[in-house]
Formats: sequence, C-alpha cells, structure tokens
Amino acid sequence: MKYTITHCTLYHYSSDVALCHNLARLLPRETSWQHCQPSRITIQPRPALSAERRDFFGNRVLYFAIQDIHQRLEVNFVTKVQVLDTRPFTPSSPSPAWEQVHKMLREDPDPEIIDARLFMLDSPFVAVHPSFLDYAKPSFPPGRPLLEAMTDLNRRINREFTYDPHFTTTATPLDEVLSERRGVCQDFAHLGIACLRSLGLAARYVSGYLETIPPPGQPRLVGADASHAWLAVYVPGTGWAEFDPTNDCMPGERHITLGWGRDYGDVAPLIGVMTGGGSHSLEVAVDVEPWVEPVDHDEEKGKKDKAA
Amino acid sequence: MPEASLAHQDNLNLTRGGLLEDYPVPSSGYDEMFSAPGQLRSHWHDMARALEEIGGDELERRHSEVQRLLQTDGVTYNTYDDSRGSLRHWLVDPIPLLMTGEEWSTLAAGLEQRTRLLNALLADLYDQRLAIRQGWLPPELIYAHPGFLPPCHRSLPAGCRSLIFHGVDLARGPDGTFRVHGDRAQSPSGAGYTLENRVILARALPMLYRDAPLRRLASFLETERATLTGLARHNPDSPHVVLLTPGPNSPVYFEHAYLANYLSLSLVEGEDLVVRDGRVWLKTLGGLRPVDVILRRVLDGFCDPLELRGDSLLGIPGLLQAVRGGHVALANALGCGLIENLGLAPFMPLLCRQLLGEDLQLPSLQTWWCGDPTECSYVLANLNRLVIRSILSNGPCWDGAQLDAAARARLIERIRTNPYQFVGQEPSSLSTAPVLQEGRLAPRPVTLRGFVVADGDGYRAMPGGLARVSPGLDTLQASLRNGGISKDWWVLAPTPQRHVSLLRQSYGPIVVTRDGSDLPSRAADNLYWLGRYLERLDSTARLLREALGRLLEWEQDNTDERCLDDLLDALDIPVPPVAESPRARFFNLRQELLSLITDSEHPGSMQALFEGLLRTGRAVRNHLGDDSWRLLNRLQHSIQEPPKGLSARQTRESLEEELVLMAAFSGLNNETMPHHQGWLFFDIGRHLERVLHTLELFKLAFVTARNPGLPLWEVVLTLTDNLTAYRRRYRSALHPTAIIDLLLFDEGNPRSVGYQLRRLQRNVGRLHRPISSTYHSAEERLILESFTTLRLADIETLATLLRDSTSSSTELTRLLDAVHAPLLKLSDALTHSHFSHAEVPRQLITMRP
Repeated sequence: MKYTITHCTLYHYSSDVALCHNLARLLPRETSWQHCQPSRITIQPRPALSAERRDFFGNRVLYFAIQDIHQRLEVNFVTKVQVLDTRPFTPSSPSPAWEQVHKMLREDPDPEIIDARLFMLDSPFVAVHPSFLDYAKPSFPPGRPLLEAMTDLNRRINREFTYDPHFTTTATPLDEVLSERRGVCQDFAHLGIACLRSLGLAARYVSGYLETIPPPGQPRLVGADASHAWLAVYVPGTGWAEFDPTNDCMPGERHITLGWGRDYGDVAPLIGVMTGGGSHSLEVAVDVEPWVEPVDHDEEKGKKDKAA
Repeated sequence: MPEASLAHQDNLNLTRGGLLEDYPVPSSGYDEMFSAPGQLRSHWHDMARALEEIGGDELERRHSEVQRLLQTDGVTYNTYDDSRGSLRHWLVDPIPLLMTGEEWSTLAAGLEQRTRLLNALLADLYDQRLAIRQGWLPPELIYAHPGFLPPCHRSLPAGCRSLIFHGVDLARGPDGTFRVHGDRAQSPSGAGYTLENRVILARALPMLYRDAPLRRLASFLETERATLTGLARHNPDSPHVVLLTPGPNSPVYFEHAYLANYLSLSLVEGEDLVVRDGRVWLKTLGGLRPVDVILRRVLDGFCDPLELRGDSLLGIPGLLQAVRGGHVALANALGCGLIENLGLAPFMPLLCRQLLGEDLQLPSLQTWWCGDPTECSYVLANLNRLVIRSILSNGPCWDGAQLDAAARARLIERIRTNPYQFVGQEPSSLSTAPVLQEGRLAPRPVTLRGFVVADGDGYRAMPGGLARVSPGLDTLQASLRNGGISKDWWVLAPTPQRHVSLLRQSYGPIVVTRDGSDLPSRAADNLYWLGRYLERLDSTARLLREALGRLLEWEQDNTDERCLDDLLDALDIPVPPVAESPRARFFNLRQELLSLITDSEHPGSMQALFEGLLRTGRAVRNHLGDDSWRLLNRLQHSIQEPPKGLSARQTRESLEEELVLMAAFSGLNNETMPHHQGWLFFDIGRHLERVLHTLELFKLAFVTARNPGLPLWEVVLTLTDNLTAYRRRYRSALHPTAIIDLLLFDEGNPRSVGYQLRRLQRNVGRLHRPISSTYHSAEERLILESFTTLRLADIETLATLLRDSTSSSTELTRLLDAVHAPLLKLSDALTHSHFSHAEVPRQLITMRP
C-alpha cells in the first residue's frame, strides 16, 4: 500500500517563547518492507537551525531550534510511504519454543542476537515486575512456540483491556494499567513488552501510524487519526515479529513505521524545551491517506489535514 | 635511592625517644612508612629526621595552624544529606605520604594506560560497540548501567577524545601492589583540594617543604590548562573556556571556584549558558559571549534537558546538539559516566589486550560481577567474607561479614532479582600511613586518588594526588563524602625541586578587557544581593546593639526606657504590655532580642540574613578576594557558631565585633574589587538597602514614633553613624533642622539619604546597558524621580512643621513616601534590565500515541 502521511502539531503559548529546542521523530524509517520518499517539512516560525541524524536505534531524528520570539509553533510533516506485504513474519510463521529463544538470547554469540539483548532489560518506562510474569504465564506454557504464545498474549491484552484514552497519561505506571485493565495503544505496547521481558525475552516498542480509512466491509480500527504504537519480539535467526495488541493483529501493509526503541521514551514523536511561554496548549492532527491515484495527481490530496 | 645506604644504626637513632617511637606497625598488611617494627623504609629517612627535629608538640601547633588557614580560606566540603550547617571543614593531616620516584613511574604508566584504555572503550561503546558485539563485554554490564546514554551515540565529532581528565581511586594491598578501586569521569573532583593542601602545608611547614625533593604539581595544571585551550575549535588564539558547576550547593563547590580562578576560567552554572545558532553562549551583562570549551563538573544526565534528563534544572537545552555540531568541546564528553561502572573491573585485562593490544599494567581490586551466573554463585556462596557493592560508583555497599541473617536474605533477594546491578569484591585491606595523633604518629588506612589529564596525543598523570585516611582503623573505605582526613601525597624526585609559585605565567596573547561587561548576569545578580544582605545585616546588627544597650541600661537604673519601644518597632518585635513586672519584661525582651540573632527560622534574624549573605557570596566565590573570604569565615564563626549561653552584654560585644568585620569586608571589597560592572552591582545593592533603611528610620523617628523627641533623635543619629559628625559640626543640643539636613539633604555626608541617591544615580548610570539608547533607563528614571523630590523639598518648612507639632507630620510623610516609593520599584527594574535570564527552560507537553 502507498500512503501520504500528514502529521500536524500546533502549540499555542500564553506568553512569548524566546527560544525553543526540539527533537522530532516524525520521519519514517526505511526498512525492507517500507520505502519512504523525502518528507516535506514545514515549521513556523522558521527554525534558525535544523539537522537530521540517525539515533542509537537507527531512527531518523530532526533537531530544530526556533530563535524568533513566538506564541505559536506549527510543525507539519508530510511523507509518502510505500508499505509492502513483506514483513518477515505472518501469524502462521513457525518459531522455536519460547524457552529455546530465551536460551539462545543468553548464549548465542551471534552479534545480532547480542544486539537484541538490550531489549531484554528494564528501560525508563518499562520495569519488570512479578505481576507481569503472572499475567503472561497462561500464554506461555512450557514448549509453546514463541509466536503462537505471543499471538495468544496479544489477543488476551486486546480482549481483557479497555481502550480508554482518558484513563492514563504518559506518567501512569504500568502496574496501574495492568491492575485497572485500561489504557491506550502506548500502554498496551508497554504491557506486552513488560510481559515478554519478564519471561527473559527481547521486546521493543514501535512507533508509527495506522491507515485512516478502513477497507470496505471492515470495521474502522482504533488508533487511526493519531500516532499509533505496537511492539515487536525478537526471534533469533529471523528478526523482529511485530504485534499490535490494540487491534489484535500482526502489523501488515496498513501499519506505517516511524521508528523503534526500548520504550516510548526513545521514540517520542516531538519533544522540546522552551524558554518562556507561560501556559501552553497543543493540537495534533494526523492523516494517513492511501494513494488511490498515480503519484503525480495526488499531490494536492496529501496536503489536506484532517483534524483528529 | 641515596638514602638506601644509610646505616641501620642511624635508622634506630631516629626512632628512639620521640615522635616515631612505638609507632605501632600493623602486624598484617602494608605500612607505607615501616617495613617492620623499627624498620623505617629508606625513602622515609629524611622525612623522619625532619619530623623528629620539628617534634610532636611543634607539629601539633603547626597542624592547628593548617586547620586555621584552611578554615579562613573557606575550604569546605558540603554534604547533600546535611542541609543545615552543611559546610564541613576540610581536614588535613600534616604528615605527607611519600612515594619513591621509581614506584611512581610504574604507577603513572599504569594510570596513563588505564585512561587510554577507558577512552578507547568509550569511543567504541558510543560507536561500533565491538566490545559488546565481539563478546568481550556482556551487553547487560553496559546496557543496564544508567551511565550508558543512548543519546550520546556518535555524538563526538571525529578526532575528539571522550576522556580529558580522569580520577582514579587506588589503594595498596597487603602485598604492596596498587589496585584500582574506582574511576571518576563525570566530575572527577579532588585536584583542587590537592593543590590547596600543598599550598597550605607548604605555608605552615616551610621547613619540610622548602627545597624538598618532591615533584611539584604546577606543571600538571599547566598541562590541563593547555589541553583545555587546545580543545577549542574556534578562536584558537584566545578561546573562551568555562567551568560548569552545579552551583554553591555542590559538595565540592569550593574546588570549582578554586580551579576556575587557578586556571583562569569563567565559573558558570547551567542557567548562565544558552545554546543559540548551534553554539554555546555565556549570558553576560554585555550580551552573549561564545563559549568554546566547557570543563564540566555536572553529572552526565543533568547536562541537557532536551536529550538527557528532562527534569534537570542544571543543564543547557541543546548542549548535546552543539557538541555534535563540533562547536563546543566538553571535558569530559557526555556519556563518560559509564566507565565509573564497578562491574568493568574483571573485564579490564581482556579489554586492554583487545582495544590497546597491551597487557593491563594496573590491576583492579578483585571483583566478581553478579550478572554472570557463575560469578554470581561464587559471590552468593562467599557472601560472608566479600563486600557487595552496586555497580554505581556512589551506590550502596554492604560488608558481608557484618550482615545478620535477615539482612543477608534481603541482600541475596536483591542480587537475584537484579544481578546485573551488583558486584562482589575482595574486602579491601588498605595500606596504612602515619598520621599525627596527639603528638605521635599512628598508622591509619589510606586510599589515594590519582589524576590523569590529556597531554598532546597521550595522557599524563599528576605526580601525586589526594591521599585520604579513615578516621578509625576499621573504616571500610575513606571517602570524600564520608568526611575523613586528607593528606598531601609526595612523589619524591632525585634532587631538590625548586619551589615554583603556583601562580601561572600567561599562556599567550590576552585580550585586555576592563569594563567587566563579560560578567555573567547571574554573578551580577548575586553581587547585587550580596550588597543588600550585607547592608541589611549591618543595620539589623546596629539596631540590636542599640536595643540591647538600652535594655541593659534600663535594667541597671530603671531610667528612661522609652526609646526601647521605638527600637522594638524598628526591629518588628511586638512591644510587651506595660503591665508586666519589670523583671519579666526584661527577660522577655532579652529573649526576643537574642532570638532575633540566633533564630534562623525568622527571616529577619541575623542568622537568616547571614545565610543569605553567605549563599550569594559563595555563588560569586571567584569575585571575592582571599582576605574578603577570610572575613566572611570569621563572621560565620561569630554569627553561626557563637559560644553557648552568652549574656546580653556579651552578645552586645560580639555584635560590636561583627559590625567591625562587616565594615572590614565592605571596605576591603571597595579597595580590592575593580570598580567595574561587578562592583557596581555590589555597591548599588548596598546603597539601595541603606537608603531604604535610613528613610524608614527617619520616618520612625519623626512620624510614627511612640516617644518622639531628643532621646530618639539621638538614637537615630547613632544608628546611622551620624552622631559624631553631628557633634563635630554643631557641638550643641540636637536641633531638628540640623538633623534633617545631616540625615536627608547633606550630599557630602556618606550616611545621608542625599548621598546614597547621588551615588546610586552615578553608579546606575555607569551600568552596561544591553541596548544603547539616548533615553534614560527605567532605573535611572526612578532614581531621578526620588532624587528630584528630595532636592526640591524645602528644609525650612519641614523643620517648622516638626517644631510646631508632632501631629502635622503629613507633609513630612508625603515627602518621605515620595522619595521612598520609586526606590522600592528600583530593585524590580534592575532585575528586569540586567538579571532577566532567570527564566528556567521547560519541557513542551507532548501528545500520546
């Protein structure tokens, strides 16, 4: 599938901001199943300085600094992305027993496997706790293939938890999400990661988008018109298998990847530090629009912003 | 070693009869001075002879002298956990710790290799990570340590080194071998204290230090200075190098100020710096001034709230990006905290072979990292004889032998849950070194901190460093944080070394500046408040002295006490009801007055005001001369540590003493500070405070007085230090017109309101203005308003009013208020124009996915 992704962020300040430094992780990364055209970036006021780089995880980061006095900051990213149906895993892919995966992670000297061990450890938003292990256990009986077990866990999170955008904030501790059985995609991704890590497996957080318009006859998916998040588990020898607990599925052509990290903190879409500003408000509008026409005729459609 | 041939006989003569007699050489372990009882190590012969010549009693006297010098120099070590009275004085033992040149060469080579190795490790771990991918290091050892900061990945431009300055904690084991106990990279403190110890001891014990065959420290600091300068990418001829400190609350702030002065660096805090156009700038009164190099003494995580810890108030948003751009160099680079990881110890030999292709020269303390299952089992099986530590350099520590069953079980549980975070270590049996104890030498466990600095393409170790001894024999490890006593560590040279002044020669071309417009705005702010606190403390002390004096007179002869009530008003103390018995009244009032000296909870008390004075003074430590600082230390001693149970009379005497110290402090600042921007703010602070106080007193005496009249006028003249001037001028009874003239209008009288206003007007006019304009600044307009009102007032009318009736004081009130009101706004105006950097950067809110 081909998409035009438009991500608009608008800040309003009650008093002047004299200086502001920002990091945007809003440029989708290139993968074997995802190809990106150059993004069109519009920032108002114009940044005095901006620089793109790759972070530790290989994600694309844009640093920009606004040095003009302003009370309004608008940051728009428009990117055309093609997502192929070539992710390395499908729900029916074979995989080793989960204990076997744990053992390989611990013992195999393959550099790729060694790299994955970073994602077995606690991270700022995800600290393991026996309660996550208890929750995960029913899906992980001895000898069960990893992907089969994870598919089950993914489904349980989807069925047993309520999607509730008003219940949590980024500061809500994960054990509260577990005990209250409520949260948003970010919480469900973190929860899945915590469960996997508490079993001694490697899991990472994926930040991205989900297609806006549902295909005919299918229900509209939760998480549209906003940033989305899911998780991936490492299968030695093959790579990372992605799971979307919010929608009880394995991401496919309709999941567009921005980047990944240990948890949300590594891939927050837009952060900044400002001087001045008083109180401030934020509006975000995301639109994921499929290309239905050839590229050239579709330029204008991509510009339209759809408020979330 | 020339001394090696000294006869054994000579050796015995030395120890017979004095200081060294019965030195209890520990039966096990390594003593630095004696190889066995009575067997002095040969490199100690000269020192032992010199110490014997000086004798125990004299050494004790010199030792007290050393402590006194340190205290007057204000050498302190703060502890975070002890918020009040938190300044702990630095303690130094007068007996140096000697090391032979040969032994030093070996140790120095080992230290320099270690720094090279750790620098190579940092370069690898923040780029290719071969050490992890090739399996030389377990990934969890690095990734689970909070010192590993992913944002620092590939943040250093090509050719830059991570480690510029490195501190290494060392101790000698029972076999005489030095072993590394830890590394310090984020804020490797101690070099400044080392220098100060050397300076003070050389002053107190010239007979030991003059022409002593010891390696001097000065050239090491010259190297550090040259290295820092060489890091600059811009302005190679005169780069701007700053020392970034967490501020006066840092435990080692003294050292930051000391080093900044010694190395001629600007001492700055995070809020003094800003990143614009990808560069780092210092906010000064004259505008933004580019910064090329930062000697950093703020922990990694706190340096950049954009990319590191978002809650940090000490950092500079955008700093890491400025580093990536190559526009500013940091010593040390951000992210270097990961080498402080204690779990690296077992892997050092392999890393050294792999990264440097060399064998590791300097061993580490035997350490087992619990992240490895085999090592962990060993540690758990030997828990009762090992020391368990967190891998964090300042983390908790357990002595396995001291744990009871419950504590042991809890610790085992903690290790099992989080094995990566713990190491087991061989208990460190430290070597012992002689310290002075009641006129004798006694052995105490000693640890060393060595320092290594980048020098050209390589590294260079400081010949010496900081030696620390535990107060007792059983202490696990002496540490800066736990107090302890420091020693001067001598590296012996083959021949006597010329004593080199630690004051440096200039390093190259210098841009001569005079106007002080490069003064950091924060420093200006602090100097202004230093002036205000000093003056407020002074006027409070004067009021208290006067009130106590009146109280004592009244107690003696029960005469006129009416002025006392007005003084109580001025001090904001409620006047007790007249119904009280005189005796109860006396004790009540005495209590109230004394508590206004000692009660630090009361915002107007001498204690609280002095705390403000000290806080602002410490924040501009590098602007105050050594003598000024000695005066502040004496004031501190007098105000904050008064003898218990002082009588009212004794308190009054100590107030006299404190007033003299304050006058000396203020006079010294006038005499020694260049009268440029910094001094102007200090002076404006003082005179603004003084004019406000004088106006309030004047109003008290002539408008709101409970007991108006001659006695009160005299009190006001005394309080404002005008009585002598008045008597000399008029030699007569007090006359209101004369008083008004002297106190308000006489611009030649340095205690008058008119004089203060003229001085304020002149000094505010000389302040550097960020934007040049032909118009008067807001501050200038306020002073002009006040001054004009005063000058236009008609003294005759005022005097008539006063003479005629006390009730018709509205005219006077109106005048005083009209002079007073603009001055109250002056402080805000100054803040707005000159110190408005105070706004703290904040995080933007973010939308959740």
